[in-house]
Amino acid sequence: MIYDKSSGKIVDIIKNYARKHSLWIVAYGTGCGAIELPPTMTSRYDAERFGIRGSATPRQADVLLITGYLAVKTLKRVIRTYEQMQDPKYVIGFGSCTINGGMYWDSYNTVKALDRYLPVDVYINGCMPRPEAVISGFIELQKLIEAGKANGAKKYKENLDWYRENQRKVIKNWKMPDYNW
Amino acid sequence: MKTQNINIEKEIATEIQNTFHTAEVNIKRNKRIEVKLRNDLIPPFLSYAKNYLTFNHLAHFSCVDWIEQNEFELVYIIYSYEKGVIVLAKTRIDREKAEFVTTRHLWYQAETYERELHEMFGINFKGNDRLNEFILEDWEGIPPYRRDFDTVKYATDNFYTRPGREDAKDVRENVTKINKEEIPEFAKEYSVRSLK
Repeated sequence: MIYDKSSGKIVDIIKNYARKHSLWIVAYGTGCGAIELPPTMTSRYDAERFGIRGSATPRQADVLLITGYLAVKTLKRVIRTYEQMQDPKYVIGFGSCTINGGMYWDSYNTVKALDRYLPVDVYINGCMPRPEAVISGFIELQKLIEAGKANGAKKYKENLDWYRENQRKVIKNWKMPDYNW
Repeated sequence: MKTQNINIEKEIATEIQNTFHTAEVNIKRNKRIEVKLRNDLIPPFLSYAKNYLTFNHLAHFSCVDWIEQNEFELVYIIYSYEKGVIVLAKTRIDREKAEFVTTRHLWYQAETYERELHEMFGINFKGNDRLNEFILEDWEGIPPYRRDFDTVKYATDNFYTRPGREDAKDVRENVTKINKEEIPEFAKEYSVRSLK
């Protein structure tokens, strides 16, 4: 096989294969869904056999799990966390609240569609998704990474104005720092 | 072993009634007394209940919005470890000029409850100097727990609604039909509520 420098294909295959097997999650639970993570991580379901682990800070992590409803107050923190994470980074929307609001569809302080504010790679459906569903969602993400299709971070950079516009619509007192990636 | 006094609720109720003649004292059930008072009698009553009747634990402090009577009802739930009895002290304040006095000097945790009521109902507690932003951030407009605040309208106006839930129906009519029950009269006007 002749290595073509311009395509960088072999490098990408190796890179994606390596990334796929080492997914570190930010230890940050936004809603009630975070309670499903301890059983996912511990011996009963043992997510570590897929290379999924928790990490302490956003700068060391690859995956941001949005586990449940997002209040406007939480959304601020989530956006800041996401923007501090380093490439490669992926977002998983967890539970029906992140998809269409779920049972909080008429709440005064809860955003209803997560992909208006952050680029979501995989959604996990359910209220609550059990650890089996969580692991299945992660395997879906791994497939996307291996195929090179999990490009949420790229999407976020390219359409930053659109995301910022949506974010500013709900966050009234805007005091976010500007990152220049 | 401590002997159980069976008539303890009655004793406390008569004692409260003898001290506060205008109070409306009801024994709701076993170990639960409801006291309705004029709003200027609440600070002396709570002080009396805490220091004399040993009700020294403030279990909860909340508010009920009676929009029809244009009033807020404040509910203090206090408990006595010695007597094992709960007292619910209720009072009504004006809804337009929602103001009351603080009870922080009796129980320090009342401050947190007052902050919450200030934010969610817009009640001003005189004497509490920490009525600043608490749970909500950057909230504008009328407080969200008031009943004239239209939650559905606010949510549909401010937050993007993903299409696909327009046919969300009120299931209460079907559920009551299956269980052979009836929707109460006061709840009928809220029964048809759908996304626009």
